[in-house]
Amino acid sequence: MDKKEEAFLKQLQATFKVEAEEHINILSSGLIELEKNPKDKNSFKLIETIFREAHSLKGAARSVSRNDIESICQVLESIFSKLKNELISFTAEHFDILHKAIDTISKMVSGTATKNKNDNMDLIKQLQSITMEEQVIKIHEKQTESLKKTFKTVEPAVEETISSRVEAEASLSSHNESAHDNTVKELLPQMDTVRIQTAKLDPLFLQAEQMIQSKIAAVQRTVELKNIYDFVGSWKAELRKLENRHSINSTLQLKEIINWTNEKLEETEKNIFILKRSIENDARSLGRMIDDQLESMKNVLMLPISTIIEVFPRLVRDIARSQGKEVELIIHGKEIEVDKRILEELKDPLIHLVRNCIDHGINKPEERLKINKPAHGTISLIFTVLDGRNLEISISDDGAGINIDKIISLAVKTGVISKDNIENLTTQESYELIYKSGITTSPIITDISGRGLGLAIVREKVEKLGGKVSVESQPNIGTTFRLFLPLTLSTFRGVLVKTGEHFFFVPTVNVERVLRINSAEIKTVENRETILIDKEVMGIVKLSEVLGLNSNNFALSSKNGNTTPSSNFIQIIIITLGNKRICFKVDEIFDEHQILVKELGRQLLRVRNISGTTVLGSGKVVPVLNISDLMKSAVNSISSSRIIENVKQPEIKYYKVLVIDDSITARTLIKNILETAGYDVVTAVDGVDAYTKALVGEFDLIVSDVDMPRMNGFELTAKIRKDKRLSELPVVLVTALESSDDREHGIDVGANAYIVKSSFDQSNLLEVIKKLL
Amino acid sequence: MKNNQAIAEQTQNTKIDWDKIKSKVAYLQEALSGNDVVSHEDKHKILKIRAKSLSLQKTEYDSNQENINIIEFLLGTESYAFETEFVREVCLLNNFTPLPGLPDFVLGIINIRGQILSIVDINKLLNLPVKGLGELNKIIVIHNAKMEFGILADSILGTRSISINSIQTSYTSMPGTGAEYLKGVTSGHIIILDAAKILNDEKIIIRQDI
Repeated sequence: MDKKEEAFLKQLQATFKVEAEEHINILSSGLIELEKNPKDKNSFKLIETIFREAHSLKGAARSVSRNDIESICQVLESIFSKLKNELISFTAEHFDILHKAIDTISKMVSGTATKNKNDNMDLIKQLQSITMEEQVIKIHEKQTESLKKTFKTVEPAVEETISSRVEAEASLSSHNESAHDNTVKELLPQMDTVRIQTAKLDPLFLQAEQMIQSKIAAVQRTVELKNIYDFVGSWKAELRKLENRHSINSTLQLKEIINWTNEKLEETEKNIFILKRSIENDARSLGRMIDDQLESMKNVLMLPISTIIEVFPRLVRDIARSQGKEVELIIHGKEIEVDKRILEELKDPLIHLVRNCIDHGINKPEERLKINKPAHGTISLIFTVLDGRNLEISISDDGAGINIDKIISLAVKTGVISKDNIENLTTQESYELIYKSGITTSPIITDISGRGLGLAIVREKVEKLGGKVSVESQPNIGTTFRLFLPLTLSTFRGVLVKTGEHFFFVPTVNVERVLRINSAEIKTVENRETILIDKEVMGIVKLSEVLGLNSNNFALSSKNGNTTPSSNFIQIIIITLGNKRICFKVDEIFDEHQILVKELGRQLLRVRNISGTTVLGSGKVVPVLNISDLMKSAVNSISSSRIIENVKQPEIKYYKVLVIDDSITARTLIKNILETAGYDVVTAVDGVDAYTKALVGEFDLIVSDVDMPRMNGFELTAKIRKDKRLSELPVVLVTALESSDDREHGIDVGANAYIVKSSFDQSNLLEVIKKLL
Repeated sequence: MKNNQAIAEQTQNTKIDWDKIKSKVAYLQEALSGNDVVSHEDKHKILKIRAKSLSLQKTEYDSNQENINIIEFLLGTESYAFETEFVREVCLLNNFTPLPGLPDFVLGIINIRGQILSIVDINKLLNLPVKGLGELNKIIVIHNAKMEFGILADSILGTRSISINSIQTSYTSMPGTGAEYLKGVTSGHIIILDAAKILNDEKIIIRQDI
């Protein structure tokens, strides 16, 4: 056990080292920038960044018990906090001390620091003096000013501080011309990095080097080919000359010409044969090189699961402690390597599921003892590879299990299902309800869970990766969530389909089956085309309609319209996502291809229904469909056509709400809550974005975060109140800040309500909104 | 050319000079058979003369003043230009793939040596009235550190250096509402587009939520 823990600590420290280095880099480049442009308008943002970095570094140091680093960061943090609030300003000497501190931390992290405790104490004292000194200077200055007025004398000490300031400023301006002008600016935004073992990179480099050989060979082949071409050209010219100059009258001459031509022909044939052989060789070796390169590249992108779950033991311990629960976490299979892109997407859903286990699954020790269970609960996180291509993750607890009755009654209450449908629910169908947003069994809403949204997000993420989620539960025995995911994204297979003149790839994982049906089998039910597949009636939607192709290419589709009726067969592709299945009608279904998915270029960051694109062997570019989008678009296109048909639907006034938060998760969270409650929601990423949207959007209410870049919630509220057209618009501020000052500030600027995130629960938010509308 | 002149001369003369025709025909036959009528050195000379005349800078160039390099192209009947520092390459548009649901200023995507690039129809972006039917078969790839895409053009006229002073930035009436993307007009009526502004414009980035 000791050994295990030691190994774990070691690994944690290694991770910390990499993380700390990132923080240190940003810190020092930030300081350099700040020193250069102390009065720049961006300096506030810069100080904010530095402050956050110091804070994160402190947190990271604490989690690996590096008290020495933590204590330095603590001081740094308070210095930057003061700087942020403009209580102090820095001189060149101060920057020196700060840089020295960061260097020291850097040395501590890399383990090259001297282990002299006094040194650190000195450093901390020096750092602390920064804040002290400044205050002293300010006081002195005030005093001198008054002194000047009354006695018109200047204290020598003050003169000294002033002149040192001048010096400092002079040295600052000289810094402005320093060389690292551009590099620093480019360093500042945090870059997306990945850690790769050098052992994995070496073969990549060797392979890349080998490709030079192919490049040289290709040049050589073109030279050889050109030689042959020139040879044939001159031969042809000579032949013409012969034909023109002499009228061929003797068989002897003719024979001579034929012999000469044969020689030339043979020489050409020989050259072409040699060239053909070399090109065949080149193609073989190039093919092998590229395959190797691709394989190594995939290997580089495969990272062990441990890279994302290192934080889990600590997380579990902390949450369990805070709730007075005892939990043991068992992890199996963390050495399995998974595509980096999948791992990155997986981290949040896993954290969520594990939190759920502690929060909802495992009871307090006393309750557990009552039903003869050991006081401490067990959560196991087991990773297994299935058939070499897929990953199964099971997250199970030995807790109370899911209370189905409670879920059903909640679902009825929130309107997810109607009362009449309850009796027909199978066990699996009722488990499905837990994924619906807005359903939670937790009676107390805490900051960890209980908002009833998490599972909906977990499922969406897993499905986006081409995976599935399932759940099993037994009362008082426990709950197990199982995630099934592909190990790698790079070998992507897709089915090529055509609709109108457009080709698309459908990811094979989402294709349940393809079929050709007789048009006579199509029956119209409620104005919709349906077919019977495996005794199940399924609606058919046209892919072209869902993608909105018909309006754009009317001419094309009308042309097609003439040809389709003559054929009695219709091509259907059944696409599945999770447990949703939809029948799509296309014009043609081709074969399955192994494809390499590429992004759409820098301009097209996200295109609805399209996840990427691939290039066929012919060079043709074919878009790959985004199934998660497509399913939603399909449902929308069905329901929109239905709404037109069913005039019976009750008229409800949809209030339009603008939700503003710079964090995507918070934004999604609030958006989902409001949408579930029947509001029409538009989102914005910060105050500036929100203000422009508010001007044109005709909203009934605004829900805004406070802490945001560019324009914060307070500024936004104030701006809205000042605007004639918007002044009556109700504003709800939702914030992480929980000080009464802030609350008052909120009221001062004219907000209608102020909800603190830590006490945030959706009914509260919904009630507040209801009141305001 | 010589040939045409010879024939022209012929038609003016009422008497047909058969010898001349014969020599002409022989000359043409020789040329057609692939033999070099013009010597290698002569060819070289001709090419050099042509190159020199092409490389001659036009009037807007002023060696004493600050100049910028531009790449000039046609949209319909009008000349436009980008500064060359923003241009990565120019290529032919053979084939493109339209994507569903995009605004009309994005034509679609193309594949340039394995890289996928989106293509912007500058006519639509600038709200320019389309004058005449162009071929629109050239792509000018413009880029900066953050953005990169192709711009559709009718034909590329070439690159050259012009003096900054010859660019007129205040103009009374520009067609369309895309005036924000224009940098100015040269005295030779080339409209200089502001590539930096187009590349940095948030409006051209497509971010569609479902």
